[in-house]
Amino acid sequence: MLDTNDRIPQSNYDPYHDGALPNPFPGYDMLRDMGPAVWLTKYEMYALTRYSSVKQALNDDTNFVSGRGVMMNEQLNNLLVGNTLCSDGDMHTRLRKVTAAPMTPGALKSLQDEIRMESEGLVDRLLGDRGGRFDAVKDLAQYLPLKIVSNAVGLAEEGRERMLEWSEAAFNCFGPENERMLRSLPVLGEMVEYANNQAVRGKLRKGSWADAILDAADSGAVPKEAVSVLMGDYLVPSLDTTISGIVSAVWHFDRSPDQWDKLRNDNALLRNAVNEVLRLEAPLQGFGRYVANDVQMDGVTIPKDSRVICFYGAANRDPRQFENPDRFDIARHNANMHLSFGFGTHQCLGMNLARLEIVSLFTALLSRVRRFHVRNEKRLVHNLVRNYELLEVEVEFD
Amino acid sequence: MAKLTFVTALGKATTVDATAGETLMRIALDNGVTGIEAECSGSMNCGTCHVYVAPQFLDWCPPRSESEEDLLAIAASELRDNSRLSCQIVMRPEMDGMVVHLPESQF
Repeated sequence: MLDTNDRIPQSNYDPYHDGALPNPFPGYDMLRDMGPAVWLTKYEMYALTRYSSVKQALNDDTNFVSGRGVMMNEQLNNLLVGNTLCSDGDMHTRLRKVTAAPMTPGALKSLQDEIRMESEGLVDRLLGDRGGRFDAVKDLAQYLPLKIVSNAVGLAEEGRERMLEWSEAAFNCFGPENERMLRSLPVLGEMVEYANNQAVRGKLRKGSWADAILDAADSGAVPKEAVSVLMGDYLVPSLDTTISGIVSAVWHFDRSPDQWDKLRNDNALLRNAVNEVLRLEAPLQGFGRYVANDVQMDGVTIPKDSRVICFYGAANRDPRQFENPDRFDIARHNANMHLSFGFGTHQCLGMNLARLEIVSLFTALLSRVRRFHVRNEKRLVHNLVRNYELLEVEVEFD
Repeated sequence: MAKLTFVTALGKATTVDATAGETLMRIALDNGVTGIEAECSGSMNCGTCHVYVAPQFLDWCPPRSESEEDLLAIAASELRDNSRLSCQIVMRPEMDGMVVHLPESQF
């Protein structure tokens, strides 16, 4: 497909290039300044990088649809169509009612105490047994998602152990068809195989979230044929994203000790601080949408039957929306307007859980830790997820 | 400019200048009023911008939608007849002087 709309600028810039992914922000700045949408010649999709453009697309699920997939390649779009993420309208409402049910604030109350106690125990061990030296990825950030969330999802042990690996592979496959995507396909295949053959009655923990999908299929609340793809709503996004948020927070508090002091003096800023971290470092940098009709966007026409990529990570640093956008300011008055969880009807259904985990962990850290010092870091080069392979820290603590 | 007053559960009142066209949620946050979280940034997915609109001003507000009802039903603080999500009420000049009470907790 060619872009026939001569008012939309074109660029051969590749946001998924090895050189761009570790620090995508200069590239986002360049695309954002070019216009409300930019045709990426390499991928034949429109990049949306302005806050207003991304929000418009996310908020208009009539014209920017999810039911033909939200990934950046057709293979994955075909594979996942029909789950909550990749559906529209009444069917989406019906599916979401089931998949989001365990993640409502009320439903999460049952996990609250456990998450708080696990957070406190973990921080005590990292400071006590480890003397405050640990890897913020493996030792800190992965703990709650692996210990609590993977258990809540309800896979048998062998499945639980692979969830992290599957998640990383699956999100790589969400990107355009590049080398990283192709390399990850076989691992994703194993996840799909597992979802088909192991995520079944008797093998899932009774009463778990995944088991509840089977109940919903039995009662007719969701179509039986959707069960396998619906498992993807839990298997893919429930770990890596939260892990990314936790690690990014540690990284920023090392860089801005004044902000850590400010937060220690006023713990009430914590939820806003979490928003500010997520604004700067969107754990997932972007999802796509299929354009179902010609749509006006800030003076240009996005043509029917094209695809757009909504770059959350770019929208979140748009100076038209966020003053001094690269600055980490935990008291920023509009930090909650970030689009890292998306916006509108498809907004992240695990949002409340992710926040509960991050807030609990940092509440525990706030009571003991005076300073974070990053000693060694290695960024993960990934099509979608913003994370580190390794973030070794040393903390000063009380 | 129209004035809008937020009153905390403990009775502390803050009056701010309210820009017409903005939601009550946005006005509160932009003016440093604490007690509204709005964690979904206005997507109507979280119920953490719950407020109680002083009864004499309720008629100025559009009726609750079904989705708003659903979220208010699971909000952390007590559901009352004047419960609203502040992201769903857009400030209009006629609402000058409106008083909005904040719940004890949004979680």
